[in-house]
Amino acid sequence: MNRTVLIIGIVIVAAIVFGLFAGLGKDPQHIDSPLVGKPAPPFALKAVNTGETIDLESLRGKPVIVNFWATWCVPCYEEHPTLVANARQLPNVQFVGVVFNDTEDKINRFLAERGSAYPTLLDANGKTAIAYGVGGVPETYFINAAGTIVAKYEGPMNTEILQENLAKAMR
Amino acid sequence: MIATFFLLALLQIKVPDAAQFVGAPKGTPLSGPQLEQQTMVISHELRCPVCQGLAIGDSPSIMASNMKAQVRELLERGYTEEQILSYFEKSYGQFVLLKPKFQGVNALVWILPIAVLAIGFVLVVSKAKKLEVEPVHAAAEEEPADDPYLARVREMVEKP
Repeated sequence: MNRTVLIIGIVIVAAIVFGLFAGLGKDPQHIDSPLVGKPAPPFALKAVNTGETIDLESLRGKPVIVNFWATWCVPCYEEHPTLVANARQLPNVQFVGVVFNDTEDKINRFLAERGSAYPTLLDANGKTAIAYGVGGVPETYFINAAGTIVAKYEGPMNTEILQENLAKAMR
Repeated sequence: MIATFFLLALLQIKVPDAAQFVGAPKGTPLSGPQLEQQTMVISHELRCPVCQGLAIGDSPSIMASNMKAQVRELLERGYTEEQILSYFEKSYGQFVLLKPKFQGVNALVWILPIAVLAIGFVLVVSKAKKLEVEPVHAAAEEEPADDPYLARVREMVEKP
């Protein structure tokens, strides 16, 4: 009897230790997106900085980087120069900024002060962010030429991270 | 207020719609107190993605209030509870459901507590049975017929 109890105890403790060990080094805030490998939810929004209407479906044929951000998000300030520099260097890639819960005035002031190289759209009621499963900003979705989401990155990106994920959209 | 509405209409030409994810509404459009009540019910089944273990119904964050507004809108349009939960699950994954589904690794959440209770019950019952039997054997073994102490006790008790 005692031996059976011991074996059951060891099995339970081993399972818990294995579960905890498997989680070591993982970001507890990271959630795998169920949208990776699926068609990108379509949207058509007017850019606050350029005035043009950006319809995601009309961008088929080239890789698209959709970056959700906001002027109240501190890591977005850190990430912005990377996005602008890469957008200027990669004319065959369409960069799109989607600003989350913000105002047109604040966005235009931010872009005037920090530079702009691609259309920035306002997602005023957060519907586009919800459809993409955005949990926080910045979050970036990499969409291939066929309109499929191939990668999602949570947090501020540097050029290395951006290009590593973009490579998946270029395949 | 009206200006804000028109500005939003101008900026948002097309936003992703639940119909693309879960099809046409399968229920009856709700309104009034029933709408508010059902909005609260569903809002307590969805996890706020920017909070620590809070339902969107309990969170003051902008993200949660946007999600709650969308739940209300979908109920007004006749979407069922199942369709609404499925819509959010398709965007955020099972993480967004506060009550995990009985499938995959999540099934362990339901199975393990029952399994642990069952094992505990079996252990307690078998231990209890053993305790019932053991004292009888012990008494039988430890009570020799010619115990001088027992004989002395009997003598004292039986003495008139």
